[in-house]
Amino acid sequence: MSTPVGRSAVESWHVLRTPLLITGVIVLGVIAVMIATAARTSGPFSPDSAEPNGARALAALLEDHGVQVTGTEDLDDAVAGGQDRTLLIAPTGSLSRYDWSRIANAGWSHLVLIRPSDRALEELAPGIEDASDTLSIDSREPDCELPAAVKAGTVTVGGSSYSAPPSAQTCYGDGINHTVVRVETGDRIVDVIGSARTFTNAQLAENGNASLALNLIGTHTEVVWYLPQYESSAYEEDGGEEQPVVPPSVRYIAWALAFAVFVVALWRGRRLGPVVPEPLPVIVHAAETTEGRARLYRRSRARDRAAAALRESTLGKLHKLHGIPRRAEPTAVVTTVAARTGRDPAMLYELLYGYPPLDDAGLMSLSYELDLLIQEAEHP
Amino acid sequence: MVVTGRAGVLAGLGVLFVALVMPSWSGIGLVVAVVLLVCLLDLLLAGSPRRLQLSREGDNAVRLGEQAVVTMLVANPGRRVRGLLRDAWPPSAGVQDPPHKLDLPTGERRRLVTRLIPTRRGDRQAYRVTIRSIGPLGFAGRQGSHRVPWTVRALPPFNSRKHLPSRLARLRELDGRTALLVRGQGTEFDSLRDYVPGDDVRSIDWRATARRSSVVLRTWRPERDRQVAIVIDSGRMSAGRVGDAPRLDHAMDAALLLAALATRAGDRVSLLACDSAVRADVRRPAPEDVLPSFVNALANVDAELVQTDFRVVVSQVLERLRQRSLVVLLTGLEPAVIEESMLPVIGPLLRRHVVVLASVADPRLAEMESAKADLIEVYGAASAARSRLDRERVTAILSRAGVTVVDENPDHIAPALADTYLALKKAGRL
Repeated sequence: MSTPVGRSAVESWHVLRTPLLITGVIVLGVIAVMIATAARTSGPFSPDSAEPNGARALAALLEDHGVQVTGTEDLDDAVAGGQDRTLLIAPTGSLSRYDWSRIANAGWSHLVLIRPSDRALEELAPGIEDASDTLSIDSREPDCELPAAVKAGTVTVGGSSYSAPPSAQTCYGDGINHTVVRVETGDRIVDVIGSARTFTNAQLAENGNASLALNLIGTHTEVVWYLPQYESSAYEEDGGEEQPVVPPSVRYIAWALAFAVFVVALWRGRRLGPVVPEPLPVIVHAAETTEGRARLYRRSRARDRAAAALRESTLGKLHKLHGIPRRAEPTAVVTTVAARTGRDPAMLYELLYGYPPLDDAGLMSLSYELDLLIQEAEHP
Repeated sequence: MVVTGRAGVLAGLGVLFVALVMPSWSGIGLVVAVVLLVCLLDLLLAGSPRRLQLSREGDNAVRLGEQAVVTMLVANPGRRVRGLLRDAWPPSAGVQDPPHKLDLPTGERRRLVTRLIPTRRGDRQAYRVTIRSIGPLGFAGRQGSHRVPWTVRALPPFNSRKHLPSRLARLRELDGRTALLVRGQGTEFDSLRDYVPGDDVRSIDWRATARRSSVVLRTWRPERDRQVAIVIDSGRMSAGRVGDAPRLDHAMDAALLLAALATRAGDRVSLLACDSAVRADVRRPAPEDVLPSFVNALANVDAELVQTDFRVVVSQVLERLRQRSLVVLLTGLEPAVIEESMLPVIGPLLRRHVVVLASVADPRLAEMESAKADLIEVYGAASAARSRLDRERVTAILSRAGVTVVDENPDHIAPALADTYLALKKAGRL
């Protein structure tokens, strides 16, 4: 009779439920802990990063002074806009012109641009231009009327510098270009700061850096700290060269195709029962040892042994053919064979009992001569 | 759990659906949900392969190279089962049929036939029966395995039986049963009969003639009821492959021919397969039982990678044979082994019995010795010549010790051994 192999579905469930439950609890716990402790943002100038190039110290300082800081990497948060709120744009990533213009039109009361790209400057702070002149990092005097700068006094700044229209307030420069620029257009204030390192964890404590940051950024009770990424939102009727190369629906088709491939793989990959083991017997080629000895002869150039074997074999055949006694003297053998074949006895002696050949060619010719001798002896 | 090609096609149609109708995440979700739902439904509706009841009947043994038929009965007490059934055997069992198609309504039984042509000698055990039950929609199904034990024994093929008729004819000549003008050969007295012209006058029994008015002739026949012990060496020397089979298989073939011939000649044959331990042992079976018991005993003997212990062989043979017997040793003619481990211990065997040593020669060596086209082949020829000289030397030593040596190629070993047996019988040496 037959016995089913393996466990039934019910048995499998009974056996597996406890391990599954334990695994599930562990996985859920790990996920929960990760969510609870995970920083929303990371990388340089992140408000959650405690690295030297992070800006957690600044975020904490702002929160201590009653400013609510919300770190985000999501473009949707940056285009949400809002009255009486500040948007800080960190010097990371890259956005398209369209996205920058969406941020510009979102209606932020206060924009703080840390070392912005040319594209961002054009859209968010028209009139200010990157002077493509990098100032060395140094302690600098404010040299302007901006209240925040005046309060902060000497500050460690350096980096990109900007040229600004006369209406703008410009601070911390070398007289021509400036690293901190404020323009006010209507009800919007835009601060452009060329020196990103001034506000990082590493340098915030130096000179009046912290004071400058607080007074510049902490103008409103709410700061959205945006770290741009490299993604771009869907294009609208922008047209022209910015049309995406791959239509978005292809992505969905690819996913559907992947699922179909997975199903087909399941179909083709499932075997009808396991592979059956075959106990195999040991099989050795019977002539293996003889072939191995031949290779050994060749590798060690054992011409003497090979020649001896060939000669002995030939002698054995001659003994049989001519009825020579097994223990006959070499001279007797040579005489008999010479008489039968008509060969020169001295040559024959050399062939049958001579020195081993000196080289491979000698061995070849010896083997040939011995064969010839046997043929002559067989058909005289 | 299995899915079928239909599920794949459904998922493929899903790609078209996503491409043309709903190119969005929800479209993909819809496709995945539909496929999963259909498969799950089918899975739940499929009959359980585990609840099937399977049993087997059919052949237990088959001669190697011939076909065995094993029948399986599948009964289904549960829901209808449709799909495939694979009767899995090891590859060397040589299953001829692809997986069976199965359609088994509730309460019915089916008979499925699996045909096997084993490719190697020995026991082949059924591994598992795997059933794939596809649901009524044909999208997914269940799969389960059963263990339904069955063993098919592949017996030695006895290819040399084609030589048996000619050797039996020779045996009858020897026996004197053939109508010949010569007397029956042999040394054992058979009967007296009247002289007819043409009979050998040397066979006239003068004493019986004196008692009667006619001339009476004494007839002879070969000895009967002698013991023949066939010993097969299953050690490493038999593992070497000669042609397309190991030496052991050629030796078995020769042993079977000898056993068949000796049984017809009226001798009692026993068999021993031995290396460091006894692997097969058949002691003096009834004449009609000789071949079946031999092939059965030899079916599962494989060459072991150990050196044969000839002390074991000699003591086993001596223990079995009381009267003077013929001992046939089927082994390899390996000079080192013969000289070092066989000759020192074989003395007691030689004193009490007639010993024949049969060895399967490798035709490859003769090929190597005759090929001398380039340097590599010349070294090969030298090595082969050395092997042959060594074998000749050890053959001479064995002959001097009183052992008859039969060293033949695989094709000729069985008839050569049979001829040696007939020659010994004719010479009255048994």
